[in-house]
Amino acid sequence: MRILVSIDDTDDLESRGTGELASLIAADIETNGWGKSSFITRHQLLVHPDIPYTSHNSAMCFAAEIREDALDKVIAHASSFLARESAAGSDPGLCVAAIDGLAAPDEIMAFGRRAKESVLTKDEAYAAARRLGVHLSEHGGTGQGVIGALAGAGLRLGGNDGRLKGAIPLGPPGGVVSVADLSRRKDVDAVRTLDGRPLDGNEMVRVGEKVKTVMLEGKAVLLVSAAAAADGPAWQTCPRQQLKRY
Amino acid sequence: MEQMEAGLPEFPCGTEDWLTAARAAALCVAFSPDVEEEQVADEARSCYNCRYRRWSVDSITCCKR
Repeated sequence: MRILVSIDDTDDLESRGTGELASLIAADIETNGWGKSSFITRHQLLVHPDIPYTSHNSAMCFAAEIREDALDKVIAHASSFLARESAAGSDPGLCVAAIDGLAAPDEIMAFGRRAKESVLTKDEAYAAARRLGVHLSEHGGTGQGVIGALAGAGLRLGGNDGRLKGAIPLGPPGGVVSVADLSRRKDVDAVRTLDGRPLDGNEMVRVGEKVKTVMLEGKAVLLVSAAAAADGPAWQTCPRQQLKRY
Repeated sequence: MEQMEAGLPEFPCGTEDWLTAARAAALCVAFSPDVEEEQVADEARSCYNCRYRRWSVDSITCCKR
């Protein structure tokens, strides 16, 4: 069965990041033989004076394909892990959603979009989770992280939000690689321009620093922009600043 | 940057003044890089990439001051 695991509000200024905790839970799923985990996405939620957050208000989510009998084990493990490993004073929340049996996929996706635009409450999150039939739980502090956890699952399910955790190792900056070679990589599903145009396999891309992918149409997409230099490849990988809005 | 140097917490240049954020971080003894997934500036040493910055609607705040 396919599930989404989403967590939020696990850190403080000095602790490990929420993304690292998500990575550890994803790895534990595989180590315990429960299933296979996918990449982690970071989802930016609303920054607003009425929302408590440590420094950026983002949720982390990953998908996993697990055995039917492993769902309860994954939930129990992730719950105890967050209670144990989250930073003191944080407000961790956990959402585990079984995608195939989801009662109303549109509703969880809408919740995610709303969390980027408006201030939501824990009551709203729990009510939505009950209607949807997804697991939602808090593991310390105020438990405010349940809002972001549910939103992160909705945004991941929507498939058009967030940056993937980690950089794509394409070698030193300044190198040149073809779109065909990029597309053959396991960590790149597609190569597109910033305005969404797919590129032919024979087009060439100059590699910049810290190359990252974003999630578009459910895929890990490497975005490129027109190259700054007149000579050489027509395209370059997008610098981080251009990916900030994803 | 001047306000940051003077010890006031609010970064006065908004959310995308990359040059100023890099210059301020270069002068800051408290700078510490945030985790990779939370970094947004191309300059590795930038207030925007610091684990002690807190994003607000219009800018960032330095939590070390």
